[in-house]
Formats: sequence, structure tokens, C-alpha cells
Amino acid sequence: MATKAINNSKHLKKYEKEMNMCIRCAYCFEECPVIKETQWDTDGARGKIIMSYGLLTGELEPSQYIADKLFRCTFCRDCLDKCPSNINILEIISSARADLVKAGYASDTHKHVIKNIKDTGNIYGDTEVISQEREGKIPLFIGCQYLGRPNKTKKYIKILEKLGIDPVVENEMCCGYPMEVLGFREDFEKHKEKFQKSFPYKDAITLCPTCTVFLREGHQIDAKHVLQVMLEKLPKANLDMKVTYHDPCDFSRGLKIIEEPRKILEKLGVEIVEMKNNKENSRCCGGGGGILMTDQDLSGDIARKRIKEAIETGVDILVTSCPTCEQVLKKAAQEISEDEGKSISVRNIEDIIWRGLKKSAEIS
Amino acid sequence: MKIDVKKLKEIVGEENVRDNIADLYVYSSDASVHSSKPDAIVRPSSIKEVQEILRYANKNKIPVIPRGAGSGMSGQTVPLSGGIILDMKRMDKIIEIRPEDVICKVEPGVINDELNRVLQPYGFFFPPTPSSGRICTIGGMIGTNASGVRSVKYGATRDAVIGMKVVLANGDLVTFGSNTKVDSSGYQLAKLMVGSEGTLGIVVEATLLISPLPKYRSMGVANFSALEDAGRMISETIAAGITPSMLELMDNVAITAVNNAQNLGLPDVDAIVIFECNGMLKEAVEYDMGRVKKVCKKNNGTGIRVSNDPDEMTRIYEGRKKLFPSLSKYREGLFTTALADDMAVPMSKIADTVHEIHVIAKRNNVVMSAYGHCGAGLIHTKILMDTNKKSQWEDAKHAVKEVYDYVHKVGGTTSGEHGIGFSKGPAFKQEKKDSLEMMKAIKKALDPNNILNPHKLMDSPDDWLTATPLRYQVTK
Repeated sequence: MATKAINNSKHLKKYEKEMNMCIRCAYCFEECPVIKETQWDTDGARGKIIMSYGLLTGELEPSQYIADKLFRCTFCRDCLDKCPSNINILEIISSARADLVKAGYASDTHKHVIKNIKDTGNIYGDTEVISQEREGKIPLFIGCQYLGRPNKTKKYIKILEKLGIDPVVENEMCCGYPMEVLGFREDFEKHKEKFQKSFPYKDAITLCPTCTVFLREGHQIDAKHVLQVMLEKLPKANLDMKVTYHDPCDFSRGLKIIEEPRKILEKLGVEIVEMKNNKENSRCCGGGGGILMTDQDLSGDIARKRIKEAIETGVDILVTSCPTCEQVLKKAAQEISEDEGKSISVRNIEDIIWRGLKKSAEIS
Repeated sequence: MKIDVKKLKEIVGEENVRDNIADLYVYSSDASVHSSKPDAIVRPSSIKEVQEILRYANKNKIPVIPRGAGSGMSGQTVPLSGGIILDMKRMDKIIEIRPEDVICKVEPGVINDELNRVLQPYGFFFPPTPSSGRICTIGGMIGTNASGVRSVKYGATRDAVIGMKVVLANGDLVTFGSNTKVDSSGYQLAKLMVGSEGTLGIVVEATLLISPLPKYRSMGVANFSALEDAGRMISETIAAGITPSMLELMDNVAITAVNNAQNLGLPDVDAIVIFECNGMLKEAVEYDMGRVKKVCKKNNGTGIRVSNDPDEMTRIYEGRKKLFPSLSKYREGLFTTALADDMAVPMSKIADTVHEIHVIAKRNNVVMSAYGHCGAGLIHTKILMDTNKKSQWEDAKHAVKEVYDYVHKVGGTTSGEHGIGFSKGPAFKQEKKDSLEMMKAIKKALDPNNILNPHKLMDSPDDWLTATPLRYQVTK
């Protein structure tokens, strides 16, 4: 009988039991966007758990190859839904990433982003990207993705004002999610303290689905996405549009926010034609988990598959509520339009809400 | 023999061959307890590529181990002496669907549920229903003769496979079977290939019988305060000529596990039986359900509940559905291992066997649950133990042996649907001792160089515990 020695994988060590609970059934293959593209077992969640286990037991030596494989995950959460043993697969993958980063296997792109956050407080490394401070009653966390899209942010704030919600905007800094997901845990521990000083609230409204999840999980802030807050307050409108809706993974599987965006669209007179895979079974856009930075081809392949699914619905507009999904899907839609002549327009839900409010004459 | 990776890349393309240690490690295990690395993983996309790979492997006496999703529980896809893992997932075309002939033709990498999604608009389905249907491949199902919860009505994969194309060890392509449901034309080699675990040839195309989708179904549940009553209810149902589409047993350990882990509030009884009937006529389904209810009552079944409401049927099945994950969380420090996991016994022996399984588990300091497709005589167990402890593996070894000794004594068989691989090799060889030499002769005739998934079935090691390194760390 073979016995195996355990090395000092600090972060993975915590998940030794959990990895033993993995029965290696491969149910996580079912809708994993990465293995669906590559069909290599190594690229599925089970493969990543097995590699992590190998790193923990010392049967595998850390290598760039293994690091590349473990960073090939969009963190779409589908495997969490499919795992019959309820294993926290993403915690294990991010722990393996943390051990690999500590062992010196971080990619230059990821290091650059983390340095940006440390230097400037945002992912762009741009001191000009700052939130416009605003006094008010309810803390609003904007998040890097929206800080980089100031017009959209202004629109969201204006919508909130018109709905009678009075947001407080601080000179905020990144929530630190990239540090956690990309394996820079020690940096996150230092950042966490700074963040919590800059954003000293127990509850908040958020604009980005991923920040919403991370404010809750990483900072124990009772975060509510702006769509949840505005649902009841929105007036009815008659936009007379037909769209399909793409559920961001952090929404449908992470926060179980499935009906709110649909009800908002319906309230504004927008008919939704669902894609084949929708709601909690929605397919990933390919933009999460860091692969957009390091594996753009794979990310693009996943996104194009989603756009094709959207085109199959026969509508001309795809609406989503995540800035990353919007960015990735827009690019994929453009490529498909150029390559195959089939087109669909990708819009963020804030844009539709804005139009709805204008049409209902609530905004002058 | 060192594998010529360059040669393999010439056959299937550079991107379809891997020999990095990380890939080899991932492909060294499946859902069994075993672990042993191959030398390379190769992913063919055509029959021609499979033929070329086998010609190369046969000439150089390199083991070739076919693999689908790698979800097998007995170690069928774990190589004992290195070689090439033939990952068949890229051969995933549904070649044709012929409703008028009630057949379809598929490549081996097609996923079971995907086939059913495609068949649905035609009003048909592929009857074997393994719980891994969402990810398992038809090739893997053929390799193990998989079945599932509806085997009580529809049988196993072997019953639905009527023909196939196979690449033999020397690279020759042969066609077995036919396109017809009945076939008296000599040896049924297609049927022989089913359950052969990749030891006789590589299935590259399969002709499958499909069944019309039933229009109605109804599900019920009954509680039993004595396991013997539940066992009798199951065998009397089948003996009465009723053909339920599902007849599942959960014993008290299974019930406790589900309640502990999922808080479903299932009654604390000796056994629960879940039953389902389906068909084209509502009246016929209701008539059959009425008959099953009568058998339940006759055998002291209580709390009998029947429904055709989809939500209620989901609720009835919830405990059974969540059983597998619940076992993983049955008790802190115990882990689920796929051992003695799918024996089948004559229907009349189900209650006795389940009872004996618990006696054996207790005697050997492990926890075993019993559940499964008992309407087909199939009992699933899992051994729950501390996988870190060497002594627990010895306990498990004794328990496994005692379980199989009992199963054989009552006229049962070692595996009902997961196959033999390494884990069940010793019990299989004991059970089939009269036919082992014949099996070896068949293997020798088709694969004289013994390259096709060697060391499995009749050639498996005598001790499953030392057959390969375990995939668990054993430190205490």
C-alpha cells in the first residue's frame, strides 16, 4: 500500500479533508465552460482538484504548466451547483493558486493588476480613475469596473436619485477580489484593512455583481445589488422591446438573483426570449476568474458560444447586468457579426432602465 | 518500451497528445480508489486515427486504455503498467437517428444525456439511465454494461446495443451485430463487447435500440418498519408481473445519512421503497400503481403516498437523489469509497443481503449503506471509512471479501452495473472460476499481444488493495 507525504502547502492544507471528499465522479464536467471547449480532463474542476491534491501530497511539484492549468477557470460556479459532494471547489482552486503564487508562479499580467491595486487602489493603475464623492444616506459601492466606465456610473446614480434613493459615494478603493481570486492572499490581507477603513459600512448598494458577492464573502458587508433595490421603485414603461437576458454567473449562481432583472425588464415593457441555457443554468460569458487577462482565446471561444446561443433566440438585443459580461460578449458579438454575418447588440441593463425611465417621463 | 510521442502526434495532431506529468497525474485515476499513471494521453477524432494508434501500439506492445468521462468506480481506466490512455471524448458525433427502425448510431464519446436531448423531439430515448448520465459517455456505458434506476423495466446497456464497429488490437476495423432487434446469426460478438471494459477492442461506433418516451408516469413511496417486509414487497411486485419503471430501496443507514446531511425529515424506519410506473396510457399507469400499492400494504408498508404531480414526484425522489452526497457527509472523518458498490442478487435475497451487509460492516469497523435499484436485484453500497488509516483499508478489504462471499453464496453476481476493473477483480475471479480460462482464450484470440486494457477482469491482480497505489493518502 502506497503512502504519501504532505508538504507545506499552506493554503491547500486547509482543504485536505474536502479534497478527500471529492469522489471524482466528474459531474462537474457537465457545463464547465473550460472543459466544454478543450475536452481535456485536466481543464475541468475535477482535474483541478486532482492537481491541487497532488500539490498538497507532494506527488506533483509546482510548475508553470500546473499554474497555467489552475488559472484556466472562469469561476462561473457551475461546478459548485453540480458537485454531488457539495465540495467548495472554487475555494480549493483559489487556495492552489495562492500556493502557486507564493511559489513564484504568478503571471506577469496578474502581478501587474495586483500592483495597480496596491499603488492606486484600482485595477487600472490610474490615479485619475476615482469615484466622484457624494454625500447621501445609503452607501453605494461602485467597484473598479464601473469606475472605469464613468458615464454608466453617472447614469446609475442619476437613476437612483430619480427613484428617491440617496447614495453616499466615498473615495473608494478596489474590494480586493482580484487579489483573492488570483491567489495574492497575503496582499489581500493587507489590503482588506485599508479597504475597510475606506469603506466603513455594514451594508451597501453595489453596481457590479462580482463586487456584491465579494463584499459579502470577503468583507461581511450586507451588500445588495442596485437592481434588487430599485425593483419596487421603478415605474412602469412601455419600451416595446424584445430581448434575451444573459445571467451573470455571480448573479444567478452566486447570489441567486434571477427574477429581479427579469421583473425589471418586464416592468419596462421588455419581452424576454430566454436562451436555451438560462437562469441558474446560464452559460458563462468567459470573462471571469482572471482568464480574460491571461487566456483571451479561450475566453473568446466561450463568449462566442454564448453569443451564438443568444442569436438562436431570434432577437436582436442581448441584455446583461454585469460590466465584464457586457465587455466580453460585445467583443464576441462583433467577431461573429464580422465572421458569420449574424448580429446581435449587447447592452447593459442600466441602459434599458435609463431608456425606460425616460419613456415613462420620470427623467426630464 | 518508451512511447514515441512524436509518432502519436503525427497521427492525431500535436494538440491531441499530452505527456506532461500534471496531465498524466490527472488521468491516473477515475472514481475508484485506484491510481496509476499512463505514459501518454491521446485523443483520436476518427476511426482511422484509432486504427493507426492501435497499429503502432500493437507493433510496440504498448498498453492502450480507452477512457470516456473517467467516471468508472472500479478502476477500469486506470493503467497498471503505463501505456496510452485513449481519451474518446472527441469522437462525439450522433451519426444517425432512425425512428422508423427504432435505432440510432453514435460515436463512443457521445454523452448519454446529450443523446437523450437529441432523441427527445423524435419522441424517443435511450433507456439505460445511469445516475452519471449527464457526463458519462456511451463508450463507457458499453465498456461497463451500465444501467441505472430504470433497469428494472428497460434492462442494461447490453439489452440496447445491437451492433457496433470495433477497432481490434491489430488495427483492423470490424463490424459486429446488425441493425435488427432480433439476430440469430451466430455468435453475438456485439453483446460480448458490452461489459468487456475495453479489453477486446475499441468501440468506435455503436448501433443502439431506442424506446418511445412514455407519456405518463406516476411515483410513490412506502415506509417499512422491517427490512424483510421491504425486501418481500420488492420481490412480490416483480413476481406479480408488474413492470415498474423504478423500484428503489433505501435502508436505515441511508435514511439516517440523508436526514443528517440534508435535514429532509425522512421517517426513521428500517426501509423506504420508492416506486414509479410509466407508460402511454394514464389508466394503465394508474392500474399498475394501484397494484404496487396493494403489494406495499400486504407487506406492512405504511405512509404510502402516490402522485403524478411533477413537484410532488420531485419531493418523493429528493431523499434518494440526495443520498449520494449525503453519504460523503454522514459522519465527520469518514469518506466515501467505491468498494463493493454494485452487487446484484436474486430478488428474494435482497432483504437478507442488506441485513448481512450491515452485520459485515459492523464486524469490520466500517460503515456501509445499502440502497439501489432493487427491482432489478441491484444493491449499491459504499464503504465509509477514515481513508487516512491503514488499518481501515485492511478492515475494508475484509468487509469487501465477506460481502462478496455472501453475495455469491446466495446466487448473486459481483457487479450489476459498474463492472470489475481492479476493485472487484478478486471477487469476480472467484465467482467466474469455471469460465476464466475461456475468457482468457477469447482475449488471447482477439488481442494476442495483450495491449488492450491489460490487467483487468480475469487478468486483474489477486489483491485489489495492492493492485495499484491508492489515490488517497494513507498516513496513519
